[in-house]
Amino acid sequence: MLVFAISDKGGTGRSVTSSNIVYRRALQGQDVCYLDFDFGSPTVGAIFRVSTASRGTTKGGMHRYLEGEIPEPTRIDVWTESDRDAIRAKPAGAGQMVLLPGDEGGGEFATFDGEMLKRCVRLFAGLHEQFDLIMVDLSAGRSFAAHLALAATAQLPRIPARWLVFHRWTRQHIIAANGLVRGDHGLLDVGVEHGHDRDALIDRIRFVRTAVLELGSGDFAHLRPAQRSWLNEIDRELRELATRHGVGLTTMLGKVPLDPVLQWREQLISDDDVAGTEIANPETVFAFDDLAKKIVDDTAWEGL
Amino acid sequence: MKLQPRQQLLEIWEAAARASSQGKEWRWGGRQGSNSISDAEQLLCFMYPASELPEFRLDTPDATSDDVLEALAAIGDSVEIPKRLLTLLDAYLTTYSDKDGRPLFGGDSYFLPNEPGEEITSEQRALDVVDSYSMSVTLMLGTLGFLKVFRRSVTRQDIRAKISDLESRANVRLSAAMVGLLRSFTINVFEPGSPQGQALLRTANQAKVHDRRVHDDLQKSLEEVRAGLRDLTIGSGSQVDLDNPNLLFECGWAWGVVKNAPEVVTDLKVGEQPKGVAPEVPYLYFTANALVGVVDLWSERTRVLGLLDDDQQQLANALQRRWDITQNYWRTVATFGKDRWPLEDIPWRTTDGKESDYYSLGVTAMVVQYLVRTRAGDVDLSRVAGVLEELARSARITRRPVENDLSAVALHHPGVKVTLLGSEELGPQLIWQVADFAITLLKRTIWVATITQSNRTRERLHSLADQIWAHIQQRQFTHQQVKGLWDNPAGAFDDVGDEQTQVSWYFTERIVEFLVTLALTSRESPLRSQQLVELAGEMLAEAEHLLNREQVIRPVRARLGASSTITTIATRLNRARKIMGERPASAAALINQSLLELDQLAAARENASEAM
Repeated sequence: MLVFAISDKGGTGRSVTSSNIVYRRALQGQDVCYLDFDFGSPTVGAIFRVSTASRGTTKGGMHRYLEGEIPEPTRIDVWTESDRDAIRAKPAGAGQMVLLPGDEGGGEFATFDGEMLKRCVRLFAGLHEQFDLIMVDLSAGRSFAAHLALAATAQLPRIPARWLVFHRWTRQHIIAANGLVRGDHGLLDVGVEHGHDRDALIDRIRFVRTAVLELGSGDFAHLRPAQRSWLNEIDRELRELATRHGVGLTTMLGKVPLDPVLQWREQLISDDDVAGTEIANPETVFAFDDLAKKIVDDTAWEGL
Repeated sequence: MKLQPRQQLLEIWEAAARASSQGKEWRWGGRQGSNSISDAEQLLCFMYPASELPEFRLDTPDATSDDVLEALAAIGDSVEIPKRLLTLLDAYLTTYSDKDGRPLFGGDSYFLPNEPGEEITSEQRALDVVDSYSMSVTLMLGTLGFLKVFRRSVTRQDIRAKISDLESRANVRLSAAMVGLLRSFTINVFEPGSPQGQALLRTANQAKVHDRRVHDDLQKSLEEVRAGLRDLTIGSGSQVDLDNPNLLFECGWAWGVVKNAPEVVTDLKVGEQPKGVAPEVPYLYFTANALVGVVDLWSERTRVLGLLDDDQQQLANALQRRWDITQNYWRTVATFGKDRWPLEDIPWRTTDGKESDYYSLGVTAMVVQYLVRTRAGDVDLSRVAGVLEELARSARITRRPVENDLSAVALHHPGVKVTLLGSEELGPQLIWQVADFAITLLKRTIWVATITQSNRTRERLHSLADQIWAHIQQRQFTHQQVKGLWDNPAGAFDDVGDEQTQVSWYFTERIVEFLVTLALTSRESPLRSQQLVELAGEMLAEAEHLLNREQVIRPVRARLGASSTITTIATRLNRARKIMGERPASAAALINQSLLELDQLAAARENASEAM
C-alpha cells in the first residue's frame, strides 16, 4: 500500500510523525519503506539517525533516479545503518525498514515530464511488490512532488493508495489543511486533472492532527484556572471551525499529542525512550501505534 | 448542590456501555429480562442525553466531545458510535414489530403474577401497556431527531438508505404509540354515594364541612374540566356521558388500552389497533407516567426539528388536550379547599380505597407539572416543598428506617404493587411493580427548585435533593460488570436481605432523565435579586468616583507601578458594569476588591499627610 504524507504548512511534524508510523508498522511485523519526496529539503535521514543520509545521500538518491541518471535509487536499511543503538537492534519479529533518501544538494523540481512520471510509476510498482507499506513523504504545500504522486497513482489503480494530511490544531492550520485538499489547485483539483475520480479520491484522504495539547491530560496541571478555562473555550471553537472546514472527527484518522522529545529533537521514539529513560510520553507511542494500525485498517477508512 | 450532572452522566454512559456490550455483541435486558419497555429504557440511557444536551450529542460525529468519546470507548469511536446506534435502533424496531410491521407494545416480562409461581399466558405477555407507549414516544422522538441531524454527516448511499428506512419505521411506531395513548385514556364516572364517590369527597373535605357542600364546591371548581372532557372527540373517553351534574368523575390513563375503546381514525400507517382489556379506571401511576412522556411531543426540540407530520400533529394535539385537562383535574382535587390541601394529607387515598405515599408522589407530580406551566407563586411552591420533604421522611430516605420498618422499605423494594384489573380475563391476575419512588421524588424536587423564585425555598429543596441523591447513590452497584448502574436497595436498607446483581434499566433510565433535566436547568442564568442589583449599582458609583479622584490626584508617571494598579481597577470596574445586570453578586465581588485597593491608596496618602 502507498501512503502519502502531506501538509499545507511547514513545521507540522509531518516527517517525524510519518517516520514514527513507519517504525511502528515495522515493529508490528510488516515490511515498510520510507521515500523522501521532500525534494527541496531531503533531510529525513536525520530523523532515522542515519548519518550517511542526514542531508540526503551522496550515492545517488531520489533526485538522480527521477532524472534518469541512475537505474535505481539507493536503499538504506535502517535497522543496520542507524547510529542509534536502540534502533539498530532489530527486534525479533519486526519487518524490514528501508529508507530511500533524496540526494545531498538536490533541490525542488520545477516541473516533470512523461519520462519522469514513468520512472516514478515504475518505482512505486516495484516497491509495492516488496513492501507492505510504502510511506512517501511529500513536501509542504502545493508542490511538484504532490502532482507527480497524483499522476503516478492515477496510473496505478490496482495499488491501494491513501493520503494523510498533517496539520496542527490551530485556526490557521485547520483552514490551510482544508485548502490543501479542497481549495483551488488543491489535491482534489489536481487529482481530477490527472484522471482521479473526485469522490473516490476524497475517500482516501484523512487528516492527522499533530502536536495536540490534550486538555484533560496532566500536562495542564500547571496552568492557571483562567488559562484552562480559556483553552477549553478555544478548543470548542476550533472544533466548530474544523467541522465547518471538513477537518472534523469524521475525516480524522488520528492525533498525535505534543511531546517534548518530538518538539526539540525530531526522532523515532523507541520503547526504551518511554519505558527506560522515560523521556517520551507513553501516549505518544500509543498514538503512533494506533495510527500505524488504522492506516491499513479498512473500517477506519470506511467513513460515513 | 453536590450534584454534577455532566460528570455523573458520563460515568453512567461508561458503565452502561460496559454493561451492554459484550465484544461486538449487544446485551439486551437486565433484571427482568428483555421487553419493549426495558429495551427502550436501555437505549434511552444513551439516546436521551444525546438528544437533549448539546455536549452529549452523538448525531454529529465531527462535534463529539473528547470526554464523551472516552466514556463510550466500549462502543466505538465518533464514527462508529452513531453507526452502532443505527444498528441497535434497527434491532429494537425489528424485535418489537410483528411480521407485517405493526409495532408491538407488550409489557411482557414486566408483568408479574399476583400469586408468585403462577404462569402468565402468552396473550397476557403481549398486552399493550401505557408505560411502553410513553417510553416509545420519547425514544422515537429521540431517534427521529438523531436521524435527521446524523443524515447531514452521511454521504454513503447504504447508510443513507438505512437512515430513511429507520425513519419511516420510527414514525410508524411513534404514530402507533400516540394512537395507543389515545385509546387508553379514560374517564370514570360514579355516584357521590358510591364507595368511590365517598373516597373522593373524603379526600377533598380537609376542612371537615358537610359532605353536601364539599360536593357542590368540588363540582363547581371542576366545571372547566368537565367542559373540556365533553369536547373530546377522538380516542377513548370521548363517548362518556358527563351531562348529569350530580355525578362525580375522575380522569387519566388506564394501564393499557381500554376495553371497547373505539379505533382512532387516521390516515397514518399504524397497523391493526388491538382490543383492550383494561376497565375504565384511571391509574395514578400510569397517568403520571403518560403525562411525563407525552410532553416531548410538543417540546421545543420537536417543533424546531419538525419531527411530526400533519397527521401526527393532529394526534399530538388530541393528546395535549387530555394532558391539559388531566393536569387540571388532579391539580384541582389535590389543592382543593382553603384549608390544608388534600395533597398535604399524606398518604393519598385513591378512589378504590388504596393508600400509599407513592400515590401522594404521583399526584404531586401532576400538581408540580401544573405549577411549572402556570408559573405558580412561591406560596404554593413552598407548600409543595413541604409535601416533598414529608414524603422523603416517611419513605425513610431522609430519616433512618426503624428496625423492621417493612412498609416503608417495601416502597423501594420490591415496590408498590399495582393490580392490573381486567388482565385476569386472559390468565392469572397480573400486577405491575413500581419501585422508582426515590428517583421520582428527586425529579419532582429539582423541578420545583428550578421554578421557585424564592431563594429560601430553593435552598431547602436543594438540600433535600442532596439527601435523596446520597440515598440513591447508596443503591448504586459497586461490583464489576454492572458497577455504576442501579438498582441495589440492599445498599441503603439493612432490612432488604437479597443483594441484586442485575441492572434495572427501569431505574437507571429514570436517573439519566433526572440528570438531564438538572443539566438543562444548570445552564440557565441564575436568579438575581433586585436588591442586589441596586446595591451593586450604588457600590459601583462610589468605586468609580474614587477611581476618578485617584486619576486626577495622581501625577502621571507612566513607568511606576501604581498606574498599573489603577488600570487593573478600571478594567475590573468595567467588567463589573458589564455583568451587573445578569450577575450582580459577581459584580459586587469585583467592586469590593477594587474598593479595597482604592482605599489602600487613599490610606497611604492620608498617612503621608499626617506625618508632615
